[in-house]
Amino acid sequence: MRTTVTGLRAWLVQRVTAVYMLLFILLFLAHAIVDPPHSYPAWRAWLMNSGVSIATGVFFAALLAHAWVGVRDVIIDYVHPVALRVCLLALLGFGLAAMAAWVMRILWMLHG
Amino acid sequence: MRFSIFRYNPERDEKPYMQAFEVDLEPTDRMLLDAILRIKDTRDDSLTLRKSCREGVCGSDAMNINGRNGLACVTPLRELREPVELRPLPSFPVIRDLVVDMTQFFKQYHSIKPYLVNDEDPPEKERPQSPQERDKLDGSYECILCACCTSQCPSSWWNPDKFVGPAGLIQAYRFIVDSRDRATQERLDDLNDPYRLFRCRTIMNCTEVCPKGLSPSRAIERIRLKMLKVDGDDGGMELHRVPPIR
Repeated sequence: MRTTVTGLRAWLVQRVTAVYMLLFILLFLAHAIVDPPHSYPAWRAWLMNSGVSIATGVFFAALLAHAWVGVRDVIIDYVHPVALRVCLLALLGFGLAAMAAWVMRILWMLHG
Repeated sequence: MRFSIFRYNPERDEKPYMQAFEVDLEPTDRMLLDAILRIKDTRDDSLTLRKSCREGVCGSDAMNINGRNGLACVTPLRELREPVELRPLPSFPVIRDLVVDMTQFFKQYHSIKPYLVNDEDPPEKERPQSPQERDKLDGSYECILCACCTSQCPSSWWNPDKFVGPAGLIQAYRFIVDSRDRATQERLDDLNDPYRLFRCRTIMNCTEVCPKGLSPSRAIERIRLKMLKVDGDDGGMELHRVPPIR
């Protein structure tokens, strides 16, 4: 069994995260239309709901995983010099990790 | 009829160029290959191309016709926009005029082990197959390896040495679904890396240009499902209508 995210796994990650993001966005929009929060405290209270918090956290995890696989594929396709490719992948990984930390901080502060 | 044909003779020309030809056709000149041979016969006998069966079976006269890959011998002449622009298969190294180097293409083809792997004792007569098992090969065994698909596939353009390409992959599928083959799992494992199969971005140029109406993109999708061990449809694949080149 392969342990790295290559080939079939990467392909699967991209499809599963896409389906999850689509469902999340549809539910999010449905909520925004049916029961829109009219003030910041109402919005905050809705997001504080642990189910919504977890679903939002998973959404951003899916988004970042999806972006990692997708952009990595573009880099593998077009950037052939190894040094440049490693630099770009590191940059991408660092950027996505920073975004993950930022999302976690926001969700954490909401509850803290 | 007017033609603009890619010319390059490495012994004489510094750079490739397009050469214009105007040729009077005979009523019997129905396919593009007839016209090319007419040009070779009456205008310039140094024009170089591959051809053999002249009926879409051998796959040797694949070329880029008005921007689309196809077989000159089965491309109706009168529907073509003038001047008819003929170029060698895109992305393949040119040897001379319309003749390209297919070494890389066949290297990828051989890498998928295009033969039955079966170590069981050979039966006295043959390895029988039920009509249903035989039907599974429909839509993939018809590939004539003309390279129209691989040469028009952007994923093959970027990584021709690592991505097997649509022609190799539809051949791989043909052996994966063959009931007489015993190496199915090895074949799937061999393709499960970042390059060999998964460079495919489902652009589907391969299916669009296949002169035999095959669908390499569907074969690739089915290989992915087999890797996932999803019981998808693995019956024969239907042929599609080949859109005429204009």
